[in-house]
Amino acid sequence: MTTARPTPGLAATLGAGLLELLAGARGLADVGRRTVYWTLRGKPEPGAAVRACYETGNQSVFFISVTMGFFGMILVFQSALQALRVVPDLTMLGAMYLEILVRDLAASIGAMMLATRVGAGIAAEIGSMVVTEQVDALRMCGVDPVNYLLVPRFKASLIMTGVLILWGGAMSFLAGGATAYFLFGVSPATFANPIMLDKGDVLIGLAKCLAYGAAIPIVSGYCGLSTRGGSEGVGWATTRAVVNSSLAVIVLNFFISGAGFLLFPV
Amino acid sequence: MSDAADSLPARVGRATFGIAEVLGGVALLAARLVRRLFPPRLDGPELLRNLYKMGVRSLPIVAVTALFVGAIMVIQAGVLIRRFGAEGLLGWGAGFATVREVGPILIALMFSGRVGANNTAELGTMTVTEQIDALSTLAIDPLSYLILPRCIAMVSMLFVLTIFGDVLALVGAAYTGWGLLGVSVATFTNGLVEAVRVWDLATGLIKSVLFGGIIALSSSYYGLTVKGGAPGVGKAVNGSVVASATGILVTDYFSTYVLQ
Repeated sequence: MTTARPTPGLAATLGAGLLELLAGARGLADVGRRTVYWTLRGKPEPGAAVRACYETGNQSVFFISVTMGFFGMILVFQSALQALRVVPDLTMLGAMYLEILVRDLAASIGAMMLATRVGAGIAAEIGSMVVTEQVDALRMCGVDPVNYLLVPRFKASLIMTGVLILWGGAMSFLAGGATAYFLFGVSPATFANPIMLDKGDVLIGLAKCLAYGAAIPIVSGYCGLSTRGGSEGVGWATTRAVVNSSLAVIVLNFFISGAGFLLFPV
Repeated sequence: MSDAADSLPARVGRATFGIAEVLGGVALLAARLVRRLFPPRLDGPELLRNLYKMGVRSLPIVAVTALFVGAIMVIQAGVLIRRFGAEGLLGWGAGFATVREVGPILIALMFSGRVGANNTAELGTMTVTEQIDALSTLAIDPLSYLILPRCIAMVSMLFVLTIFGDVLALVGAAYTGWGLLGVSVATFTNGLVEAVRVWDLATGLIKSVLFGGIIALSSSYYGLTVKGGAPGVGKAVNGSVVASATGILVTDYFSTYVLQ
């Protein structure tokens, strides 16, 4: 007689992973539903959203400026090198750069940065409140923690993600323009060329800002609220918030870009 | 008094001191780790455990990221390809940027989120529960026993995962080009092989080693300097991923400039 194997087989491993994924999706959908419900129906606590805006927005300005500025310099440097292999002139560099920045990169890279800065912050704060039983205390008082803790951050993120992405995009355009001027001799007047921008690009960019702004607080809030255990649990929750909200940005980017490509044919 | 403490010069000064403190701490940590490499003093089993935990366990997330990134690159390049009607350029347009720049950066950012943040959380928990002090008390060097194996594992595994991710990103790009733009996989491959040189691939991989070093050092530094219980661990993880992301982008600019 053989005894049951202690190590689970492939089917068991895959099945356990799938069940975990489904449970996560259900929890996430629940937090998302409650966030939207309380945002529309709840009575806002005066000043909470403004404080959250300050925390999300003003505290991230320096980080976004540095990362997006460097990103703009890298991108222009790299694409100029790439373009010089095929065509000898760089007059369209700025126009193409502006289009791809508005259409995709300002929003997506900016949101990846915000997922690490803001998403991790939300999960760390809410996670600490969960392990110190402050969230249970809220429940005892008949307050839905999603309404009290997550909704102000959700509103702030919806507004501030757009603002920060606009700011970050401007920083990367300026830094990119400086790189083009100093390293490749492209004059700023040639570089700042909006000829390739059209309505579709702007709409896709705005749709991305809104989608990322909504996704980051919901995903990180879910990770924070499902924290278990002590300080180790808070660390885990923060890790999961960073990974899952970055993944959410990448997956949403794929779908919005694909839809935009099909909706606005060139 | 409170006005003076909140004034702009005071805040700029505080922020500058904060950045200087982190940079100095990371440099000191790096120097102490390098000294333990000559002759190598590290814990072998701990290294193997971390190689498995950081490398093999990150495969799914790297695979998903890479496939989507390749697909997104093709969608973005597709706009230009349609405009100029040059299908043969798709492999060049999507492949060059992916192996040189976007692949290594995004994989490093995901790695920083998964492995770097996790490392900070683990070390931070050990710090607040005084396990690191306990190691020192037992005359076990925490740097040789805990930190060095993790740093080596992170650098080598990010390198390997970037190779793996580059391949998957190109596969994702080739099939998205076929499905969305009707460019055959053979045309994509031809464009790719013609335009992308081995050096382009090598640049991306050299960068991945630098990124691995940054993630390893900053996540260990933040983990070892945690103060104040569970909220402290959360804050440290947040600080660590922010520092890694900044470090990755800043280093990337300079390495792109040097390695052109």
